[in-house]
Formats: sequence, structure tokens, C-alpha cells
Amino acid sequence: MPYERVLMRNVGVPNSTSLATYQASGGYAGAARALQMKPEELVELVKKANLRGRGGAGFPAGVKWSFLPPDRKVTYLCVNADESEPPTFSNRVLMEHDPHMLLEGVLIAGYATRTNVAYIYMRGEFTELFHIMQRAVDEAYAAGYFGRNILGSGYDLECYIHRGAGAYVCGEETGLIESLEGKRGWPRIKPPFPAVQGVFGQPTVVNNVETLACLPHILTRGLDWWLSLGTENSKGTKMYCISGPVNRPGCYEAPLGLSCRELIYSPEFGGGMRDGKKVKAVFPGGISMGVLRGDVFPRAADGSVDPSRDYDELDCRLDFDDVRRYDLLGLGTAAAVVVPEDADIRDVLVNVARFFAEESCGQCTQCREGTSWMYKIARRIRAGAGRPEDLDLLVEVTGNMGMMPGLSICGLPDGAAWPIRTLVQKFRAEFERHLAAQEPDAAARLIRQTNPAAWELPIWAGRRRPPTAGTMPELHRAGR
Amino acid sequence: MPKIIIDGREVECRAGISVLQAALEAGWDIPHYCYHPGLSVVASCRLCLMEMKMPHPQTGEVGWAPKLFPACQTPVKDGMEVRFDSPRVRASQAATLEYYLLNHPLDCPVCDKAGECCLQDYSERFGRPTSRMVEEKHKNPKKDIGPHTLLYQDRCVLCTRCVRFCDEIAGTGELRVVNRGSRAEIDVFPGLPLANELQGNVVDLCPVGALLSKDFLFRQRVWFLRSVRSVSPADSSGATIWIDCNSQGVHRVRPRFNPRVNQWWLSDEARFGWKYILRDDRLNEPRLRRGGVWEPIRWDELPEVLRYRFGRIATSDHGAGTAAVLSPMMSCEEAWLLARFVRGLAPQATLVRGYVPVRGTDKTFGTGFVIRAEKCPNRRGIERIIAHSGGNTLEFDEFIAAAGEGRFKAVYLVGGYPEEWIAKEHHKALAGVELLVVHDLFGSLLDELATVRIPAASFAEREGCFMNCDGLVQPFEQAIEPLEGVRSDGQFFYELVGGLPGADGLFRAAAVRAAMAAELPEFAEPYVPPDLPPHAH
Repeated sequence: MPYERVLMRNVGVPNSTSLATYQASGGYAGAARALQMKPEELVELVKKANLRGRGGAGFPAGVKWSFLPPDRKVTYLCVNADESEPPTFSNRVLMEHDPHMLLEGVLIAGYATRTNVAYIYMRGEFTELFHIMQRAVDEAYAAGYFGRNILGSGYDLECYIHRGAGAYVCGEETGLIESLEGKRGWPRIKPPFPAVQGVFGQPTVVNNVETLACLPHILTRGLDWWLSLGTENSKGTKMYCISGPVNRPGCYEAPLGLSCRELIYSPEFGGGMRDGKKVKAVFPGGISMGVLRGDVFPRAADGSVDPSRDYDELDCRLDFDDVRRYDLLGLGTAAAVVVPEDADIRDVLVNVARFFAEESCGQCTQCREGTSWMYKIARRIRAGAGRPEDLDLLVEVTGNMGMMPGLSICGLPDGAAWPIRTLVQKFRAEFERHLAAQEPDAAARLIRQTNPAAWELPIWAGRRRPPTAGTMPELHRAGR
Repeated sequence: MPKIIIDGREVECRAGISVLQAALEAGWDIPHYCYHPGLSVVASCRLCLMEMKMPHPQTGEVGWAPKLFPACQTPVKDGMEVRFDSPRVRASQAATLEYYLLNHPLDCPVCDKAGECCLQDYSERFGRPTSRMVEEKHKNPKKDIGPHTLLYQDRCVLCTRCVRFCDEIAGTGELRVVNRGSRAEIDVFPGLPLANELQGNVVDLCPVGALLSKDFLFRQRVWFLRSVRSVSPADSSGATIWIDCNSQGVHRVRPRFNPRVNQWWLSDEARFGWKYILRDDRLNEPRLRRGGVWEPIRWDELPEVLRYRFGRIATSDHGAGTAAVLSPMMSCEEAWLLARFVRGLAPQATLVRGYVPVRGTDKTFGTGFVIRAEKCPNRRGIERIIAHSGGNTLEFDEFIAAAGEGRFKAVYLVGGYPEEWIAKEHHKALAGVELLVVHDLFGSLLDELATVRIPAASFAEREGCFMNCDGLVQPFEQAIEPLEGVRSDGQFFYELVGGLPGADGLFRAAAVRAAMAAELPEFAEPYVPPDLPPHAH
């Protein structure tokens, strides 16, 4: 029996963005119910539901709300609609087809956190979505779901849409806050956390679009329904995206815990690979969570999971816990992109590295320099001028950028390093095949051309020449 | 006072500071770029990362946390234990320093910062000797960002100290970061150059050679410079400075940390305004008018001549017609010696507080940095010495008025101002003075009236102390030898009063100060700000 879609129930319904359509399917009933509860009860309910943030990190929303200082005067709610993780478009589908579901979530979350002003921070590239959302907000205002004394409860909530200018890092909650304040989107140092000092120095909650969209359903369908979905620590329903050369790329809803193989091959979801190709690799959570080996690799005979060995890893369940067994950083956005068997893994490496070199905000050294260095190495390997030591160097560079626990202000370098490291480690054999097939002196020639200093000076092993007297190690040995 | 353990050693530190500050003050050499005690903390250079002991979230057992923490952002807490000297921290420092040099042009041989560059120092002490990047380097552009400043973006480590300085201290916010990733640059807005009154500080703040002063560009290698403790004469705030000089003279002026006055900063007028000491029209020969004709006179003849001539006039009217104008550009010692000389001639002699140049009003910046409107260093000191000396005293305007009425026959007039300060009315008023001694840096309208013209030494060529507008007495040292032909003012006045009892013939500011302190206790212990910890920058 196909799973009853909840978040995506209005996708495909004609005129789905209008308030009337939303109300016809029971819209704003959850908000009405929430407004009769006490805010504390709502926070407790969401804590019990173990609603984990859908933005990537999976932090429980109720716990996040309870970090707000109890004696606060002003609270802000920010909706993170800066969906910019590479193959991810679930928030977009949600806002494009059912903007009122998000707005109802905003209302519920706002009431639970005693917020009077909510900001929807929308990715700059979402031009059409902005108009859809703005129409929906206007409709909701007209119907009394925003503004003063909402539904006679005495609760006031203003809702504004703010458009970003197109930066990946503004999806990080403090980067988003800085950008919302009109500054350069550089993540802030923590502590203080946004719950204590966020937008304009006031306590702030930042939640993802999908997280908020879950709230109306928890209220209308009840906690038991919610807890019956998903796996042990990952409850509820989830929107999965699949892209790449599959037969049915798109956004699908399923309870948490869908396996990667189902997502690709199930006729309900991806519908299998185009032209019957096999899967070489799949990035299951947006690219920053790392890579899984596809079914071009053999399955482990005993079904065990060992990321250090070249086995098929498509049985990874996409929830908040199982992904870690496969050496992934986390669930991320649950947006899988499939790499087919005939793709060159070096192209994948360049593509991933370029994205992060482009999007590193430039604040912390490791990330700023590390991402661009990885990109340069990746490009050189792609150009057929890799050196055998480059693979280890790449792994070391990713390690020095800091991964879990990170060395930097935000998680971007972790997310930049993780896919590079897992790509190099999981597909090392293929990289080595490519390196072996290169022209023997290709690396030396390219290096001499692009960086004559590196060639002239004895700084790389490709050109063996004893260090000249007077270099620093010599002086150190001499006891200077 | 909280006690924390750094690398196994217990350190007592001030409450409320960061671990990095505590470690620096206790003598640790912790590499850091973005942290500056005068600016907000951004914790973005990631060089001061440390290990910290924390209770385990599940077991509660206290041990080294798996995460590295930025020391600049972690406040000290009694009993905390951190370490910098561990393989993990050292490895992280080396890796980060390697990243810093990836796109750095390594042009130290032509870089003004070489020798005092934190990228050089840290790379040598904590980094790797060679780079492993064999690809092409990014070449970020060089830019002219203001009247005094050049930006070599390729050397920049993006610590954003300059950006924060312009936002938080100068309050003008000219500098911004533009672009992302390793293409990120510091820049100004089009048509809005870095041109605030504190702009020179960004060059000091820059830990590397990215921001350079046009004034000092390619002038000297810093290892040929000697730094001398001085006090800025540019205004009455008493900002303490380093004079960087060598045998070829003064090359630049930098702020000297002073918690009670200028903190880490210095105004541009103090930083760049000292150039008048290099002017080639400076007086360099004492002259005496004999029969209407200037004749040079030897320095060692001069005291005797002045004593004789002043003495003759003073004894004729018990000093009623004798006056000395003490310039607020003089040090307290010099003023005290000159006052002593004049009072020694005749008790009725008049002491005049010299002309006090004032431009505009005091200007206060964020965190309390003030540029004073009074453009002289020692008005308070002069007033204190005149008040102490008792007897007849006048303000400068009153003196000019009285001189215009012909009350004075012998006047000792001290100048020393960087700018022309004698107006026509001064000239007219002093026209009737029989014996006019002018002691000044530059020629003026008074030259045609003066009987004796004595060349003065600039602040860099003298030693002594200034009392600032808040009554704080701060000593300054002599940086360079006086201009050829010039004798330092202190030495000359010392000879004029015939030296101090029981001392030799050389003027020493400290000895004179000690003698002054017997009468004026505030000069007993002049304030010398503490030096910054050796590794702070």
C-alpha cells in the first residue's frame, strides 16, 4: 500500500497554493488547536515527538526551543528557506506547492516560542517562490492567521519574507542571522548561541522549512501517529529528493528510514537507473554528507557494514543514525544524487571540490584556503597530472580542515572535507587506476608550467634534489 | 583572581579575560592573528586553538575534550586546564600556517613588514619549512585604498583587524571584506577611500605586510631601526609613542601601548605630523644682533651673554620689565629651569604661559580614544610650574597686551611650534622690547626684532616629561641627536642656570626631575605605561 503523503498531499492538486485549497484539506486546524494549548505544552509535545531538524544536522526542534531564556522579552523566529545544498529541492517543492503548510508551521512554532516576529529567509534565487510565498502570506494576513489577536487567542505574530543574495553559507543559522541583519553572511562565533543572542541580539529560533511544515500534522494527527512512523531515533515523515540518471528523478515523501536502494530502484521513488546502468556512487544527503559506494561493487557476503572495504553500500537507511555506520557525516537533507557507472570519479571530485571552493565564506583559514587547495588538486588530477601522493595529500588536507569536531566557526569545512575524503577513500582504487594510466611525466610538466617556483625549489618529491645549505631545516639542525 | 592551568603550570590571571590574553600575559607565545585586545573577538584565524579539559558528556569524567577550542574566545574560569604544547595543537598550528602560505607570494625581500611580520615569525616557529602546494597561486590584487595606505591583498591573511578597527574604533567603516573563499579581499567602497583620522593604525594592526604605510614604504628595513619611548607632542592627550629611528634620523612613529591614554592607537596627526622636524629651514645657529647686524655666537658664550644682559635690565627695575614666555611645547624640566633662571634674576619678573594652539574641539572615538583640540603637549605642566614659581604671571594674550603698552624691556620668548605662530599684532606689540630673545625652531616675523635668536631642538631630539591634559606626567626619551648646530633646549637652560648643585655639566632629565620633585611631588614618579607582553601584537 502506498504511503499516505502528508507533507506533499497537495503536490499536484490544482491551485494548491491558495488558502482555499489548503483549508479544504484541513489546513490551519493544527494551528487552531495549538493556539488553545499553552506554549510550554507545545514545546513539550514537540520534544516528545522527537521532531529532529530537517535542515541537515538533525537537532531536536523542541530541545532547541527550550534553550530560549525563560525571562526573555523579545523572541524572533527565523525560517531557514535558504535551501542551497546541491541536489536538494524538497523545501522548494513544499513552498512551491503548499506555502500555507509552512505558514501554519510558522504560526505554531511562533506561538510555542512566544515569538511576535517571524522572518522567512528565502534563498535569493527563489524568485518565483518568493512571489508564491508572498501571496500566501498576504492571504494568511487577510484571513487573520497573521497580525494581531490571531483567531481570537490574543496572540500576535508578524511574518516577513527576507530574500537572501545567494550564498550557501547563509543557510548556516548564524550566517543566516547576519545576512538577515543586513551584514555580510559570515557565521558568528558560538557561544552565544542564537537561542540567547540571535537576530538583533535577541533570543532567536532558526528552523528549517520542512521541520515547521511537520508541526501542523503532529497536532492534527496526534503524537501516536507521528511516533509510529520512522525508526527508533528518527521519527516522522520525510521528503526525499533523488536526482541523477534515474528514471523518475524528483521529490518523494516516505517515513524516515527509507534505504538508499529503495530510493533509487523502487518504482514509487527513483524507478531504477536509466538504460539499466549500475550505480557507481551516490551522495545520499546532499553532497556535504559524503558518498556511498553503489552496486557496481559486490555486496558483502555476510551483510556486514565496513566502509573501509569496497562493498555495495546502498542498503544504508536514510535516517539520522544508520548513515553514520557508513562513514557519512549525517542524514543531511536526504537528497540523493546518483553517479552512474560510466561517470569518471575524477569529474565528481572536481565538481564537489569546486562547489565548496566557491562557497566557502572566507572567514576561517582552514576552510578558506583548504577548499581552494582541494579544488586545485582535484583539477590537476582531472587534467591527468596527478601524483601518487596526491590522494594521501587530499585526505590530509581534509583532516587539517577539521572534521567532526570541527576546527572552524561553522560546519561548512566539515561538510566540504567529508565528501572529498570519502570519495578518495572509497574510490581509491579507481583513482589509482587513473593515475597509473596517465602519461608518466604529466605531473612534472604541468607543475613546471603552472608553478615554476615549485619546480625550481626543492619542495616536492617529483624532482629530487638535495636541499641546498641554508634552508630552514638545515639551520634548525645546526641548533640556531 | 582566577587560577588556570596552562600546559601544566598554574597561572593567576585577571578575571574576565580570555585564555589567550592570560597566556600571553603569562609569557606564552601563542600564535594569533585575528585577536587584538582592543577589538571585538571574531575567532576566525583559528591559530590559537587549544586543548581543554572538560567533563565527558555521558560519564562526567574530566579529560581532554576531542575538540580544539579557540583560546581567544574562551573566557578564563577558575580551575580550568588547557594546553597548547600538545601534538594535536602543534599539528593544527602547522597545518593552519601551511594554509596561510598557500597563496602568499613569499615576497619578503621586498616587503616592508619583513622582520616584524607575524607570518614570517609563526611560519618559522610553528609552521612547515616548505609548501606542498604545487599548483598556481591565486594572485589577489594590490590596491591603493587611501591617502596613506596601500593594500597588498596577496599578502593578506584576512584577520579583519583593519575592518573591525574602522568599524569599532574609528567608527567610519570604510573597509569591508568582499568576495568569498580564497578570493575574499579587503576593500573600500568605490569613491570612499580609507581616510579617517586614525587610519594609520590599520598598518600597525596588520599582522602581515598587507597594509602598508605610503609614508614608510621602502624606506628602511625594520631591523635597522631602534625604537625609542616618547610622547607625542601633537596634542595635549599625551599619547605615548615609539620613535623608530637610526643614525639617519627618524623614520616612523608608532603608538606605544598606554592603558591610561591612547591604548593601542595613535591619531594620524601624531603619526604623520612629526615631519616638521625634517624641514630644511630649521634654525641651526644661535645668532646675536650687534649694531643691527646678525652675528653668529658660540653656544658656550651664549649663557654668559644672556645672564649679563638680562641681569643688567633686571637689576635696574627689580625685574618689573623682565618676562619669560614658557611655551607649552617645552618639557616640564626645561620650563622649570627657565623659570628658575628668570626668578633668579629678579623676584618681580613675569612668567607667561605661552601661546596655546587650539584647533576645533576635542574629538572622542569609540572606546574613548580622544584627539584633543589643544595642539601642544604640556600646557598643564607649564601652568603647574608657573603656579609653583609664584610671583607675577600672565597669560599669553595679557602679555601681548602689556608688551604693547611697553611694560617689558627684556623678554625670553620660547616657541617650538610646528607651525608659524607669530602674527603681525605680536610683532607690533613686541617692537618696543629692548632685549628680545627668541628660542624657536623656525624663523619668524620676530627675527627683525630679536636681539638673540636661539635654535630649538625638536621633541625627538630632547628628553624630559610632559604633563598631559589630565595631569598625567609621562617621560619621553631622546631619539636622535639634535640637528647639527643645535643644542638641546634642556642642556642650554641647564647651562643658563649654571647647573644643579652637586651635579656635572650635563643635562639629564631624570636628575632635573628628581630636583623638581623636591618641590613638586607630582614629578617624583612619572607614569611609564607597562610594555605589552612580548608576544602580543
